[in-house]
Amino acid sequence: MAEEIKDPESKGNIVLVTEGPSIPSPEGRRIVSAWSIALFGAIATLFTLCAVWPEPYLDVVAFLPDGILTTFEVTALSICCAVPMGLITGLGRISRNTFINLTASTYVEIIRGIPLLVQIFYIYYALSKFLQVSSLTSAVVAISFCYGAYMGEVFRAGIHAIPKGQTEAARSLGFNRFQTMFYVILPQPWRTILPPVGNECIAMLKDTSLVSVMAMPDLMQRGRSFAAKTYLYFETYTIIALIYLIITLVLSKGVSIMESKLNYYDRKK
Amino acid sequence: MPDESQLEHGQDCGNQQGKDAPRSPEPVIVMSHVWKYFGPLVALQDVNVAVQAKERIVIIGPSGSGKSTMLRAINRLETVDRGSIFINGTDITKCRDSELNHVRQNLGMVFQSFNLFPHKTVLHNLTMAPIKLLHMKKSDAEDRALALLKKVGISDKANVYPSMLSGGQQQRVAIARALAMQPSIMLFDEPTSALDPEMVGEVLDVMVNLAEDGMTMCCVTHEMGFARTVADRVIFMDHGQILEMDTPDRIFNSPRHPRLRQFLDQIL
Repeated sequence: MAEEIKDPESKGNIVLVTEGPSIPSPEGRRIVSAWSIALFGAIATLFTLCAVWPEPYLDVVAFLPDGILTTFEVTALSICCAVPMGLITGLGRISRNTFINLTASTYVEIIRGIPLLVQIFYIYYALSKFLQVSSLTSAVVAISFCYGAYMGEVFRAGIHAIPKGQTEAARSLGFNRFQTMFYVILPQPWRTILPPVGNECIAMLKDTSLVSVMAMPDLMQRGRSFAAKTYLYFETYTIIALIYLIITLVLSKGVSIMESKLNYYDRKK
Repeated sequence: MPDESQLEHGQDCGNQQGKDAPRSPEPVIVMSHVWKYFGPLVALQDVNVAVQAKERIVIIGPSGSGKSTMLRAINRLETVDRGSIFINGTDITKCRDSELNHVRQNLGMVFQSFNLFPHKTVLHNLTMAPIKLLHMKKSDAEDRALALLKKVGISDKANVYPSMLSGGQQQRVAIARALAMQPSIMLFDEPTSALDPEMVGEVLDVMVNLAEDGMTMCCVTHEMGFARTVADRVIFMDHGQILEMDTPDRIFNSPRHPRLRQFLDQIL
């Protein structure tokens, strides 16, 4: 997940923490880029389908808005829980306290070794033996735990990428370890880790489709029930795929814009 | 406190001039029998130095000779394996972290790579530590910061980010940032080594001014001109040992140690 590359342009190491090119790079801000082809292609396909064959396609589209809202709800709640969990995990992973460090590392190891689908089943069905929770709660808990671990690694790498000189400068001014972390180090990695965190959030949105197994009425589940009723599997899942595609493409553009906004202090004259 | 024998030892390394000069009873920095290892490598070998208040020490030597390690040991950016280091009477090799932070507030440090905080403007770089650590009022801290920026000659850059400054300007900001805590001692770790040649002068000027103001200074540098004109004492190190410690006049004009002669031949 984290790969270290030497950037010939800069002196230090740049740690690239990314899973793939889902966020458009600044060079990609042209009219014709993979991102714009995909987005406008998807939108055009969606409109063409609805315009030419309104009979099944428009019905599918009309059936889905509730599901989109549920998907967003699960995603938003999970992001709210997973980002703080990731930050805490990341700090735990770089902690000098053996107990905290080991706890955080073990959590990451365990979570990363279990598929999210299994975790969702485990929390919703297996744990219901002891504790009855709603499907929304179990969805958010499962996704947050899972992505908290992944984001922990992103935060850890981001904090590690801050040059050691920053810590030394802060310590030499008299800041203690805690103050150094909160005043000097933590405000800095945001722009480095925003792309991978954004990537994780988008991946999370896609993975919320897994919660349809708990009969959560999300986008995927709405599609499934529509398809089950009408047997229009091809039409339904085409629309579902297009809608997921449009949402993730728009979000990735949003992350890309935020990223450039966060670069404010690195602009040369 | 260090006992007399350690102090004596500190002066053994060739400073005859120090004996007749009037000497304050307590040196502000005392390193006594300091050893440091990096794995099998001996980084510091039985280093003994006593620095008086207002004294200007310049440390020279080939790269890898332990100069920076010695300087960094003074504010415990490097821990040492044996020996004691006293700053104004506090043994920083044994003191607690809270005490250490207090000692460090009194020790300004300037790094080769500036290490300004890139996410803060120049002004915030200077006011952050006084506000958070000395609990100064924001307006007071800003007044002090602006005065310091004026002193280092870049008052017009208060509201820009460090990345927009040249290396020389960044290093002058770094000096001002260290001074904002009003330290009594300033440590310089090769402050001009990362600079383009035409920017070395502007940084050295700031340091000369500081020396003239009576700041206690320890400076690791390759600028022999600076060592000659500013230093009260020059320390020559090689392989982690202090081989010669004397006035700049004697170091540069009548070096005794063969290694020092060889070193000076190479660089001058």
